[in-house]
Amino acid sequence: MKTSLIAALLAAALAQPALASSLSDLLGKAIENPDLVNSVVGAVQNTIDANRTIGPKEEKTLGDGMAANLLGAAPLVNNAGLQSYVNQVGRWVASQSEAPNLDWRFGVIDSPNVNSFATPGGVVLITRGLMDRLRNESELAGVLGHEITHVLRHHVTRAAQSGKGREAVANALQGVAQYKTDDARRQLGANVLSGVSEVYVRGLDKDDEFEADVTGMVLAARAGYNPYALVSVLQTLGEINPADGSVQLMFSTHPSPQARLDYIDRNVGSKLEKYAGGVENTPRFRAAIGR
Amino acid sequence: MKSFLIILLLGLANLAWAESGTLVRASELKQKPFTDAASSGKLATGARVDIVARQGAWMQVKSNGQSGWIKLLNVRTGSGKGGGGGIGSIGSVLATGSSGTTVTTGVKGLSSEQIRNAKPNYGELKKLDGYDATRQSATNSATANGLKPRSVPYVVSRATTSDNGNGNDPQNRRRGP
Repeated sequence: MKTSLIAALLAAALAQPALASSLSDLLGKAIENPDLVNSVVGAVQNTIDANRTIGPKEEKTLGDGMAANLLGAAPLVNNAGLQSYVNQVGRWVASQSEAPNLDWRFGVIDSPNVNSFATPGGVVLITRGLMDRLRNESELAGVLGHEITHVLRHHVTRAAQSGKGREAVANALQGVAQYKTDDARRQLGANVLSGVSEVYVRGLDKDDEFEADVTGMVLAARAGYNPYALVSVLQTLGEINPADGSVQLMFSTHPSPQARLDYIDRNVGSKLEKYAGGVENTPRFRAAIGR
Repeated sequence: MKSFLIILLLGLANLAWAESGTLVRASELKQKPFTDAASSGKLATGARVDIVARQGAWMQVKSNGQSGWIKLLNVRTGSGKGGGGGIGSIGSVLATGSSGTTVTTGVKGLSSEQIRNAKPNYGELKKLDGYDATRQSATNSATANGLKPRSVPYVVSRATTSDNGNGNDPQNRRRGP
């Protein structure tokens, strides 16, 4: 990653001599922070914005806009107890990761469809339709662990920057740099967000989905849950007729539940069995969900 | 009256709801959900099972008069016969007032069309911000619910395809501490 980033930056600099001055600056950033997302590289018309590395602040601006867009499509379920509950569970699982202090926020959105979404910088949304199908809190922890992994590994940011999204991201981030000292939330425009949010229709790289399953299981195990609960969730999804409208978007953006189970089978197998005696359910799940 | 009907429907759905699956490998049935538990029979690859219960990495199954515990990962669900639905269908009846058993293309909810046509709702995002939990309160709540943190190393998984130049090189991903 670092090597290819440096090579890409050099290529960009050679293509546009005007960039040379900022090259050492960019290289410095990339070297001191290996967790920075790939800079976007390519033929860019008269702007260096698309070649900028995206840092945590910019990811959050972008991600919060993407979350606002998803909430524009489906608002939060009007149930404060449920929303607080999902934040308690999600924050606890995220606290077991290498980024416990990101601005993690979790929400249940009012849609009968079965799906969940992660946005860069720490918002995770799960539909009522998926919540309704979960048997217990360990299953919820597995689903949230999957989405938390997308945030940790910058999967959504990277997918949004690929292909046509490259310019959309560049446009979205134009001028964000000026807000670095400003704590006021920068609100991105509808047009820009519509381009960037296409990632939720297109889906992520399938290897990123597989990685999110495996790492989600580990995060759930760290949080004290039975990590194999995510296997049960995928078996639940496998039972739903793919022609059922409630799963169309999820099935078109993810590998099939069977393929995901096969992957877990090969890569996790019995490796996490010593943690399988972890918590399956809690009093707070029963109180919030009523099951 | 309407709510009584719904309760009745849900009751019926629960009775009618039986999860089933297919074995992807031959499995020894165990009397208890432990590797060293006594055997209560054997099922062949491809055997159909009804799922009775789940615990840890195990599920309790019934198949052709035999019953016992097998590993969760030995089972795949979905026969492609358009089963599924079950509780889910009833749920969507409650949610949308339309029949959950009818396949709809313009589903109410969150289709790709709705995401494409969405207008950002920053007011709703502010509401979301208001529900957030601090790390400390999440820890307190987890502890009160019997959860204890454990140290578990990340599992390194293999990519299914070679890197296709989209910057997605798992060899160079950070794998945590």
